[in-house]
Amino acid sequence: MQIDRDMNILVVDDFSTMRRIVKNLLKELGFSKFDEADDGSTAWPMIQSGKYDFIVSDWNMPEMTGIDLLRHVRANDKLKETPFLLITAEAKRSQILEAAEAGVDGYIVKPFTAATLNVKIQKIFERVEERKKAAGA
Amino acid sequence: MEKEDYDNASQALDDIIATRDSNLLEQVEQIAQNLHDTLEQFGSDSMLLQQTKHGLPDATERLEYVIQTTEEASNKTLSAAENIIALLETLESQATDDAQKEFINKAQSEVTEIMMAQSFQDLTGQVLNRVIMLVTSLEQSLMELINKSGIHIDDIPDPAESDEKRKAEEMRGIGPNVTKSSQQNVVNSQDDVDDLLGDLGI
Repeated sequence: MQIDRDMNILVVDDFSTMRRIVKNLLKELGFSKFDEADDGSTAWPMIQSGKYDFIVSDWNMPEMTGIDLLRHVRANDKLKETPFLLITAEAKRSQILEAAEAGVDGYIVKPFTAATLNVKIQKIFERVEERKKAAGA
Repeated sequence: MEKEDYDNASQALDDIIATRDSNLLEQVEQIAQNLHDTLEQFGSDSMLLQQTKHGLPDATERLEYVIQTTEEASNKTLSAAENIIALLETLESQATDDAQKEFINKAQSEVTEIMMAQSFQDLTGQVLNRVIMLVTSLEQSLMELINKSGIHIDDIPDPAESDEKRKAEEMRGIGPNVTKSSQQNVVNSQDDVDDLLGDLGI
């Protein structure tokens, strides 16, 4: 499947080194349009602009967590379809299930590899495609 | 001086010392009693006792995790930087013109920058080690104090944690599960995550 490499991606993490790493990995995968936010609370107004086709977020952030950000996105009629990937050190089964319940599209536990990120992104957009087809059919 | 005078004086002196000693002893006993009462009032599940038994060792374990993780990362970076330098040296020995050599030299100095930056691990590691020493000695002092007050460390219960409290904490995000006690019910790999979510079609 061909993924649109021109999509706008928002990378949310409170550690700038991790944002840098994620951006570099996404660049290696052929993506080029990124914005950054250092917390859920700064990401949310950015997302509300409707600009982003894909959100990659950390969980544990000081003001608004990634899971809360996900819930905000899913509760908004205009934004709720936005693919949302959590990349996080949070590794409790109960947390992963909670994220699934909140509507996460993918979940990667840190530390992770470029290959894992690639596979997850492929999978997420395959499913987005399937959803679109199902909605159109 | 007569011998009798000397004996009297000596006896008087002993009495004074004995009185002073018993006063001191009484005071020390009073302090110990106060401490015991205070700790008793806290109850065996008090914050201070909990923090001494669980909080401080937990803090130490987390700091050790920081040292270990930054050390591993720095070592990886250093290995990679060393490999690059070796490659650049080979390239340099094969370079034919000055422009190429200059280019290679610039790249080498950038790699050196990367290597130098890794010295943060040494510096932060030292600072953290000092903090660990301080926390450990504070923990020991508090343990002794608690022991002396008559409370046995084994009698301090594990922190009572309701499901609600645990869930509220998990929803805030608890960070990497680095301590032994936090490693219960944790996924070990991305495969575990995938298995867990696979059943839900994610």
